[in-house]
Amino acid sequence: MNDLVFGKYIPIDSEMHKLDPRAKLIGLFLMIGAVFVPKSWWVFLAIALCLAVALLMAKIGIRMIVQSFKPMIMMMIFLLVINSLTIRTGDILFTIGSFAIYKDAIFNTLFVIVRLLLMISITTLLTATTNPLDLTLGIEWLLKPLEAIRFPAHEVAMMVSIALRFIPTIIEETMRIMNAQKSRGVDFENGRLSEKISAILSLIVPLFSVAFERAYELADAMEARGYVPGAKRTRYHVLKFRFKDYLFIFICVVILAGSIASRFYL
Amino acid sequence: MSLIEIKNVFYQYNETKKAVNGVSFDVKQGDYVTIIGHNGSGKSTLAKLIAGLLPVKSGQILIDGKEVNEENIASIRTRLGIVFQNPDNQFIGSTVKDDIAFGLENKLVPSENMDAIINEFAKKVGLEAFLNYEPQNLSGGQKQRVAIAGILAMKPDIIIFDEATSMLDPKGKKEIKQLMYDLASGDDITIISITHDIEEVLQSDDCIVLNKGKLFMHDKPENIFMHAEKLREIDLDVPFIEKVRETFGKHKIKLKAQDLKGMVDELCRSSSKR
Amino acid sequence: MPIKFKALSYIYNKDMPYAHKALDHIDLNIRENVVTAVIGETGSGKSTLVEHLNALLLPSEGSLEILDYEIRANEKQRFLKPLRKDVGLVFQFSEYQLFEETVIKDVAFGPINFGFPPQEALKRAADALKLVGVDEDHFEVSPLELSGGQKRRVAIAGIIACDPKVIVLDEPTAGLDPQGAKEIIELFIDLNKKQGKTLIIVSHDNEMVYNYCDDTVVLSKGKLVYHGPTDELFADKEKLKEFNMLEPQIVSFRNELIDKGFRLSKEARTLDKIAEEIAKQVKR
Repeated sequence: MNDLVFGKYIPIDSEMHKLDPRAKLIGLFLMIGAVFVPKSWWVFLAIALCLAVALLMAKIGIRMIVQSFKPMIMMMIFLLVINSLTIRTGDILFTIGSFAIYKDAIFNTLFVIVRLLLMISITTLLTATTNPLDLTLGIEWLLKPLEAIRFPAHEVAMMVSIALRFIPTIIEETMRIMNAQKSRGVDFENGRLSEKISAILSLIVPLFSVAFERAYELADAMEARGYVPGAKRTRYHVLKFRFKDYLFIFICVVILAGSIASRFYL
Repeated sequence: MSLIEIKNVFYQYNETKKAVNGVSFDVKQGDYVTIIGHNGSGKSTLAKLIAGLLPVKSGQILIDGKEVNEENIASIRTRLGIVFQNPDNQFIGSTVKDDIAFGLENKLVPSENMDAIINEFAKKVGLEAFLNYEPQNLSGGQKQRVAIAGILAMKPDIIIFDEATSMLDPKGKKEIKQLMYDLASGDDITIISITHDIEEVLQSDDCIVLNKGKLFMHDKPENIFMHAEKLREIDLDVPFIEKVRETFGKHKIKLKAQDLKGMVDELCRSSSKR
Repeated sequence: MPIKFKALSYIYNKDMPYAHKALDHIDLNIRENVVTAVIGETGSGKSTLVEHLNALLLPSEGSLEILDYEIRANEKQRFLKPLRKDVGLVFQFSEYQLFEETVIKDVAFGPINFGFPPQEALKRAADALKLVGVDEDHFEVSPLELSGGQKRRVAIAGIIACDPKVIVLDEPTAGLDPQGAKEIIELFIDLNKKQGKTLIIVSHDNEMVYNYCDDTVVLSKGKLVYHGPTDELFADKEKLKEFNMLEPQIVSFRNELIDKGFRLSKEARTLDKIAEEIAKQVKR
């Protein structure tokens, strides 16, 4: 559980942490665009350097970023294998037995992988420096225009923030139920398929029944405290754009513009 | 006039079982009323009916002369709070201050005024140092105090405690009960507390005993416990002193004293007569 | 052979910046075939201690001997199943472990996992359910439809049906009404008296501990601070104060009677027994 780095918030204080979540979200989209557009390794290097500066400002170690890549390793290997089998252009780089590996296969794969890694790093940077609650507020703000077509932006944000609030509770509950079932002889690690299914059921069924109970009680508690879905509410957290937020977005726009320009001039 | 009037109220979850079966009683302004009864006696259902979380099937619940119904519920909610049993399932915000803010947001309190209110009520429940804590780093008793702060912040004059201490450890129970007694000591807040805790019942002004959805007794706590045998009939707990009286009664020793010391003296007298 | 904790420590999130020592060098021999209470404030390490008994947690340091098993730090356990069959653990709010379609199937789930043939498992389940007071007409209903108290009984039957030699109870009566709580505790005490099952009960309820438990273990901040006969602990006002425990009313009452010259045996720790012994000393 503790190894899961992707999406984890690191509660420290830094310049990146202090930015408005909306600015960071907009920045995320701009930067993902900037990563998608270029065809040159030099641009990737430039973006990676910008990212390194941002990581430094966020006081986030390179170790965490590297760790966030871990879950992707299998996928990268898979991609490499598939590409080696299908891409048969360019020079032959080397042969394994009688099977030739082409230069394009390797380079195309590397290109995709670098893109992916940059995107993961950017997203990790966002989630590591933004309190989930602020993130929800930011997402709510971004979705606001959709309210014109009756999209319940506020309710969706409320759901997300409650989901985030209950994740630790549910994890704790999962552990407790697993322990109870282990005490009744369930083996969650080994066993035949039928035993595995029964093991999973013995965890899922109670988990759901407790979750429903919680949901009902939570709904009562919210209603009792005057919550009416869709009704007007004031907000405790008020987001405020400051100069540095505009500056941050501006920098991201410049990077994106540079990246687009590179398509024409490099 | 009574602040809360419960008039012949019925409620059933399904066809067969009536959860609340014709209950009537009044609660006076500023009173501290406890409701006891077996699990399944209809206590929690009654609490939800008073709080307007369930609609009565028949009968009436009046608060300050206003009927608790869909039309009045919004205005009633501004003056009535309810603390539930499970500390986790009523913690809505991500941190203590966010949770206290939740009700204020619904009440349309302007954002800039919230911090002052949050600080005031966090302090009132002794959690001013915990404002940024997340629920998983708080004890059960602390979470219940957050729930109480969140409700007090809305300035209610009625608070319902629905077994608010039953899931807590002894320390948490003690904290929350003390907080309840403090709130009850003034005249401005009326408290209805559903409980299993005999000690708490003895602190209240009035006690209601429910059994199988019906009002079984309604009296001052000391009068209720004078009829310990009636409570025993419906499997309810009685104060320790009544247990002593009852157990010695089984051995044909009648004890009349009203405290333990008196009982021991009584036993001494009868043994020295030997 | 007693249950032996030997210099056992347990550290949560070992090697992490927020590591937390939940048990600190516990040396403890728990007697077999008696009822032992484990008490202490929340966070004192009670639950961590008992979760070692069936290897849900493995010691970070030190070792544990229980029945014929030995659990050492940093050693992969190979006898998990037989150990967990012999040491049954009833969790706090155990009703949340129910999941099968019917009550009887749920209770038979443990015995089947531990290798009892299906017929025997069902018979054991039926016996256990009768023992905990669940009517036969409830056997085929969904456990999720029962009331809270009934669910708890079914969950408890699920452990009893596995026929463990040691039964560990973590706050078995939390959230039950007083009558239900008393019935559940007396049922386990009966299993101890009639079948010699070793009982280990984690509890906050000092009166229950005093009434029924032979020995008491007191933990404080992960350390063992008392282990000995329950009556000696409750007779020692200094210790109660030191451990921040309230004297149960029954203890005050008993002391008062003894002060006034009544004779009470060591066993007279429930009101029933006290009244019985006093009745012989009083003229009717």
